[in-house]
Amino acid sequence: MRIRSRIARAGAVLAALAAATGVALAGPFPYRVQHRIALTGTAPVRALAAGPGAQHVYAAVGDEVRSFDLTGQAGSRVKLPGVVTGLAAGAGDTLYAVVGAPARLVILSVRPLHVVVSVSLHAGAPSAVVFDPVADELFAESQAGHSVTRLDPGTGRRLGVVRLQGELMQMASNGRGTLYLANAERNALDVIDADRMAFSGDIPLARCRAPSGLAMDTLGRRLFVGCGNGRELIVDADLGYTFVTLPIQRAASLQAAFAFHPLGHAGWKGGTFVAGGSEVDAIRMYAFVRYAGGGRLALTRPATALASNPAAGELWLAEAPRAAAGADDEGAGPQLLVLGPSCAEASR
Amino acid sequence: MNRLVNGLRAACAFVLLAALAAPGARAALAPWSALAGKTVLLVTGGAESPEPNDDARVARHLRKLGFTVRTADAAAPASAAAGASLIVLSSTANAHELGDKYADVPVPVFTWNTYDYPNLGLTGPVLHRDYEVIDPVQHYADSFAVLYAYGANITSEISRAVGLKPQLFGTLYLEPETAGWGRPGPGGTVIADFFGSRSHAAVFTYERDATLADGRVAPARRVAFYLGNDDFHLLTAVHGPAAKDPNLRSWAIGRKLFDAALRWAVSPPPPIPTYDPAAIDAGIRSVAHGKRVLFVERVHGGEGHRSDANMVAHLRSLGFTVVVADQTAPQSVARGMSLVMISGTCSKWKLANKYDEVRLPLISLEGLLSDSLHFTGRDRYRDYGEHGELLESDDPPEDYLDIVGAWSPMAAGLKPGLVRFTYHPGVLKWAWPLPDATVIATLPGEPHEDAIFGYPKGARMAGGFIAPARRALLPTDNPSYDDMTPQGRALFDAVVLWTIGG
Repeated sequence: MRIRSRIARAGAVLAALAAATGVALAGPFPYRVQHRIALTGTAPVRALAAGPGAQHVYAAVGDEVRSFDLTGQAGSRVKLPGVVTGLAAGAGDTLYAVVGAPARLVILSVRPLHVVVSVSLHAGAPSAVVFDPVADELFAESQAGHSVTRLDPGTGRRLGVVRLQGELMQMASNGRGTLYLANAERNALDVIDADRMAFSGDIPLARCRAPSGLAMDTLGRRLFVGCGNGRELIVDADLGYTFVTLPIQRAASLQAAFAFHPLGHAGWKGGTFVAGGSEVDAIRMYAFVRYAGGGRLALTRPATALASNPAAGELWLAEAPRAAAGADDEGAGPQLLVLGPSCAEASR
Repeated sequence: MNRLVNGLRAACAFVLLAALAAPGARAALAPWSALAGKTVLLVTGGAESPEPNDDARVARHLRKLGFTVRTADAAAPASAAAGASLIVLSSTANAHELGDKYADVPVPVFTWNTYDYPNLGLTGPVLHRDYEVIDPVQHYADSFAVLYAYGANITSEISRAVGLKPQLFGTLYLEPETAGWGRPGPGGTVIADFFGSRSHAAVFTYERDATLADGRVAPARRVAFYLGNDDFHLLTAVHGPAAKDPNLRSWAIGRKLFDAALRWAVSPPPPIPTYDPAAIDAGIRSVAHGKRVLFVERVHGGEGHRSDANMVAHLRSLGFTVVVADQTAPQSVARGMSLVMISGTCSKWKLANKYDEVRLPLISLEGLLSDSLHFTGRDRYRDYGEHGELLESDDPPEDYLDIVGAWSPMAAGLKPGLVRFTYHPGVLKWAWPLPDATVIATLPGEPHEDAIFGYPKGARMAGGFIAPARRALLPTDNPSYDDMTPQGRALFDAVVLWTIGG
């Protein structure tokens, strides 16, 4: 009893110290796998997006966009003219998809899921798309074309193009007219003035090699950068200043997502999730200046996409198809994982 | 033989003039390339270091700058510094273990071990009065306040290297953090301070041969910096497009300040001047020709009239053209002059704020003008005053000065410590200048009663006034010049020589 009270006292002191000094202790991964959905075929899931209203999640599988409800039940699907390389939820019932070849932006409506308009893109095969709901801006990235195209979110009309150098990876927009891109070749974040669609400079990333995952907290103005050498950098976007570095998995191609209250309204204030290799890392936000490792979840195969669906308290992940498997092999295709709060988080 | 002596004297005068020509009469920072390969001894707490700490990050940073880094524990003997060009003392080292072992080592020291400041003589010994560590557990509110500091000095080499302005800047990145401050002695230079108080210096330095707070003399450069155990990585910086904004660039300067202070510490200090009045004499003569000095006095005054006449005669004998003006003459008489010297015979009341803004080098022999000339604040007896004036001062007459800035050419090569200024105790004036001033001498036992000091051109003076040219105070009251010892005369000449240089 005495020992227990000492431990409790020590714990309280540690917690107080942590609160006062900003040192936060890493905890267990906050999610557990609730549903595992096996998909047919060998095409990987290249993108995931939580849809409007948070009631559905959309997956880019080969040349299709497929919808799933929150329990993982498959819904409708729509075929596009080529392999879908990026997905982003838009305003209202809108969903954006980009197709690599032929290079196109496809604007879809999700009720029901159907194509509204399909527009040709001319700055290289698009590899990703991002929609900024605050600034109402839509961007398509082309790794092959070393470019970013700004598009009209309503019509898909091209508003501007910026050509960049290096290996362009994940994008994030700040809601105020600035777009950031992880540049794996230049070990930096490229900064784009979205109004002028011009390169305004880069943010160096100290001791970060091959950055690829990028997410942003637009309220706290923090950029979360997943680096290939096993580091997660948290950057003050206003100063270009890295103030936290945390260990994560080493992987060549990472995807990151940030959300406030990612587990629903109870639990974490904010969290960033980074996937790419056969693991998912969590970064827990305690305050705008205080972050800590939030645990790691091992996967059976490399992750190819992730999406946070905070309104449902879910994190969605896509695992790659099993290597060297045939199309008919059972369980060889890609898998979707629906993660909900772990028992510890759910009981809070 | 005489030729050899004259040659040597000319060489001395040349070195003196070269030193005087430098901004603030200080040596420039060595380029980083010249410092590469030098060995740094990083003293930490070793296995007993508190966690978390940034010692490894600091070591990595030093290596990145080109230094060879050797580490030692706090318990290591001072001989660990053998061969090192710089000693870096981390706050993770136990100050009691460190003691004063590095105090007398003639190797530059860069420290953020605040509790060790008194051991090194950087501050007095009293916690909370002379030095303090603010930490988020003991001082939660203040631990936010130390995220900000003020640029206190804008003319030191460190300040110039970072473009320090007399304004607020961000010290550390946004978390309540641990930081230390100290109150250096008058021989120290406050670069940045917390709370706008020069008694709470965030960054301060001592030049080699400067007098430390405990009266000892710095055997090499000393730098005190505000860091705590684990906040090196939080030193502010700005990168990317934001760095194009000049306001952000002058705000997030913590890392630049650290690097500039480090670079200053390890740069070669100026040569220590030697006491050679003849060399100073030769130096003045070499610059006096064609220079016009306006000597402002109470013409036909009583006490001090003879002394004024002798000073004028001395200046003329050195080669200056001297124009004498009465204290009531308009400031326009300074037009075309090279130097203004205001005699102690002048009445502050009659002088009526003249010459404060004159864009010429200026020497005041009257300490009581220090407020109107922006040398110091406006609080008589706290910011400026006098010793020995019957009925006007509680302090006794004085004949000695305490040299605290022996490294400066203004100190005429006199050794640190007491020097007899006049043959007889008399009235000596003083003021407490702002951190941009270099303090040469104080009144004995009165560290903030500074009798000789100089502001370089561009210095921030009281009330935000920027010195349009050099400014200096000499404490000679009305008749004191005639009573000066040879050392006093040497100081007089050295101050004239320094001031006319800018």
